[in-house]
Amino acid sequence: MRETRHQFREDLAELERQVLGGLDLVISQLDRAQESIAYQDVELASMVVADDDRIDGRYLEVHQGILSMLARQAPVASDLRIVAALLHVIRCIERMGDQCVNIAKLVPLSGYESPKDKDILDAIEKMGLQARSQVLQAKQALGSRNVRMAQDLVRQDAGINRLNRDIFKRAVEIGDEIDMREWGMFMILVARCLERIGDNTVDIAEQVVFVVTGLFREMDDAAPHSTVRMSPEGGL
Amino acid sequence: MEQDVDLPKTEQVPDVSTTPGSPPEPETMERERLEPAQGHSVTVKDLNAYYGEHHAIKGVSIAFPPNQVTALIGPSGCGKSTLVRCINRMHEEIPKARAEGTVLLDDEDIYGSGVDVTAVRRQIGMVFQKANPFPTMSIFDNVASGLKLSGIRGAAMRERANHSLRAVGLWNEVSERLNRPGVGLSGGQQQRLCIARTIAVEPEVILMDEPCSALDPIATLKVEELIDELKSRYTIVIVTHNLQQAARVADSVVFMLDGEVVEHAPTNDIFSNPTDERTERYVTGKFG
Amino acid sequence: MSVAAQTPGAPRPSRLSGGARQRRRKAVNRFVMGLSWFAAIIAIAALLLVIVDVVIKAAPAISWDFLTQLPSSSFLNPSGGGIVNSIVGSAILIGLSSLISIPIAILVAIYTTEFAPPQVSSVIRFALDILNGVPTIVTGIFIYGILVLGHQQSGWAGAIALAIVQLPIVARAAQEVLALVPSSLKEAGLALGLRRWRIVTRVILPTAAGGLITGAVLGIARVAGETAPLLFTTSVFSNLTTNTDPSQALANIPVTIFTLSESATPSDHAKAWAAALVLIVFVLIVSVVARTLNERSRRKLGN
Repeated sequence: MRETRHQFREDLAELERQVLGGLDLVISQLDRAQESIAYQDVELASMVVADDDRIDGRYLEVHQGILSMLARQAPVASDLRIVAALLHVIRCIERMGDQCVNIAKLVPLSGYESPKDKDILDAIEKMGLQARSQVLQAKQALGSRNVRMAQDLVRQDAGINRLNRDIFKRAVEIGDEIDMREWGMFMILVARCLERIGDNTVDIAEQVVFVVTGLFREMDDAAPHSTVRMSPEGGL
Repeated sequence: MEQDVDLPKTEQVPDVSTTPGSPPEPETMERERLEPAQGHSVTVKDLNAYYGEHHAIKGVSIAFPPNQVTALIGPSGCGKSTLVRCINRMHEEIPKARAEGTVLLDDEDIYGSGVDVTAVRRQIGMVFQKANPFPTMSIFDNVASGLKLSGIRGAAMRERANHSLRAVGLWNEVSERLNRPGVGLSGGQQQRLCIARTIAVEPEVILMDEPCSALDPIATLKVEELIDELKSRYTIVIVTHNLQQAARVADSVVFMLDGEVVEHAPTNDIFSNPTDERTERYVTGKFG
Repeated sequence: MSVAAQTPGAPRPSRLSGGARQRRRKAVNRFVMGLSWFAAIIAIAALLLVIVDVVIKAAPAISWDFLTQLPSSSFLNPSGGGIVNSIVGSAILIGLSSLISIPIAILVAIYTTEFAPPQVSSVIRFALDILNGVPTIVTGIFIYGILVLGHQQSGWAGAIALAIVQLPIVARAAQEVLALVPSSLKEAGLALGLRRWRIVTRVILPTAAGGLITGAVLGIARVAGETAPLLFTTSVFSNLTTNTDPSQALANIPVTIFTLSESATPSDHAKAWAAALVLIVFVLIVSVVARTLNERSRRKLGN
């Protein structure tokens, strides 16, 4: 005898798969955006911009699926929490996708033959890897409902914030040449996009804790001078 | 979750039925606001109920707060109907059935010695699953039946009966035909008639045993709205199979299983984050 | 399901048509319907035959005078006179019997359905069924032994004997009707905090009223034609006046039919048939009344 509400459970599981798949899409976008920055690859960058449609499409699918589920199945208790969380997470995914697009859009602007600062480039690369690892961890935490893993993301996010500040400081001291300074500005913007991706993973972590415990607590990052407050809306 | 009990005084809603040519609005109920009154609490302590040898209620203790709606939910056979029938001592009317324990109305034990059972039932009214207006009585006589037969007559009786009909939103629908048979109304109207009959005797507590399960969705919603109104004056205990209804209507929910209370919590908690695994499985439908 | 052969080129038989099996079923159906129709005809014919026979044999004697005059004691006009004293006497006897038995029957029915524990109820029901089956002649002898022997015949004795016959009929019918009152109504009454007795008088009895009246009327119809009890208790009566005093024997139709049919005078036989016709008409009217009341009360309860 099948479990009751079998179809409902199937549908809910499918929604979750779609959301986790969205996180995979974000990772692939992030990788390509990073690469396009590192190698000034304008073509790759434009592919990133175009492929954001896939993430937007995923968002619409999940959103519609959730509306349909709320209307027809009236989920309650843990089912309700996971549905609410998925709605929140897919929005985070959409925003992360937008951030990747923002990064990609900065590639042609920062010029082909501009001077580059190695420190800044290294820091950007580290930030990118860090962001990637956070997105992956968020996906795993959500998929396995792992509260520890979720809470760990806060700690990791502190690292991204630190790198962000370092890049800022370095860009300020980068030199007098206009080209250099311009490039430095663009790198600040890239760093900021990466930092926002990190914030979104913390949002996802909050949702994981909510699903498991039923309690919603904002996870403040540990950085003392941070101007960033993790708000449920994910904004700055 | 505490409501601010600061209700406006009696609202006179414009009487639509006197405007020629304008059809009465089917969705809204013109209803006289009830005067809020301090409700009475019901406390069940260590109640055991039997059907012959079958132990249906096993040492149940529940506190029903005044002026609130408490819903009893649980699978068939869990004892929720038996429990409410113990509260107004209807359970013992069934042959070979008995109940032992304490049920306090405020601080009086209704199972105490020397307690008059019919007096208990005048204080604790009941609305049943299938509307049961008296077929040989008119609409008015139905509402007044509890009054007349308890000695309240004349103008006072008429006043109370009319007030009850207004309070349940039936007045505008039946004022023209108060002496027509009570059974000539629709299902939803009959159920509201039974509710009017129950509140005409001014009980302290109203028990409802699946009052909407035989009604169509619109009639159901009307009754639910009425329940929301009634709690300003009465304490209400409602047994329901319909989880959505419990979610809409109740302030707190009691989940029962096999004659025992599993969880008793505010509605929000039961439906968003229940404590007990069994409650979680029941409300999400994993009971298979 | 189809039995048709699969001939190539022929149109495929529809799933919905049954073939030979269906034809056979239809034939059996028609045969059974015909049989039951025929049986109904026989039943109705029997009733009609009886009625027609009585009417024909009563025709010579039935007249307005017959219904309004006393039996004539004139040798000169043996076919004259009527049975007015019997009609009046029967009415009084049936009236008294009903007055005695119907309230008791209804009270017994209320007791067994509302107040008695189940075992007591079934014992009472059993007793009533047995009483129902006691041959009326036994009832007659019994009352004769108690009330007539050593005293004299009287209308009271006749009425009491009839009441004993009438009681179980009315009581059982009342029990059936009271049991049909939905328990939800009793629950509603209890939940309002009404006392048991109030619920009985204001809710249950009015709801069952139609059926109770029907039961009472059926009892009357049954008892109208009872002869044996009256033979022992009120069979020697005067034909010179219309007696209405129950402390003496009252004239009544069943005994009159008996006496007239034993008479040597041929015209008396016609009168016996006429008296029988009066009785049949009375029972017919009462039965029709019972049915109408039953329909009315069923409509009230059922919807």
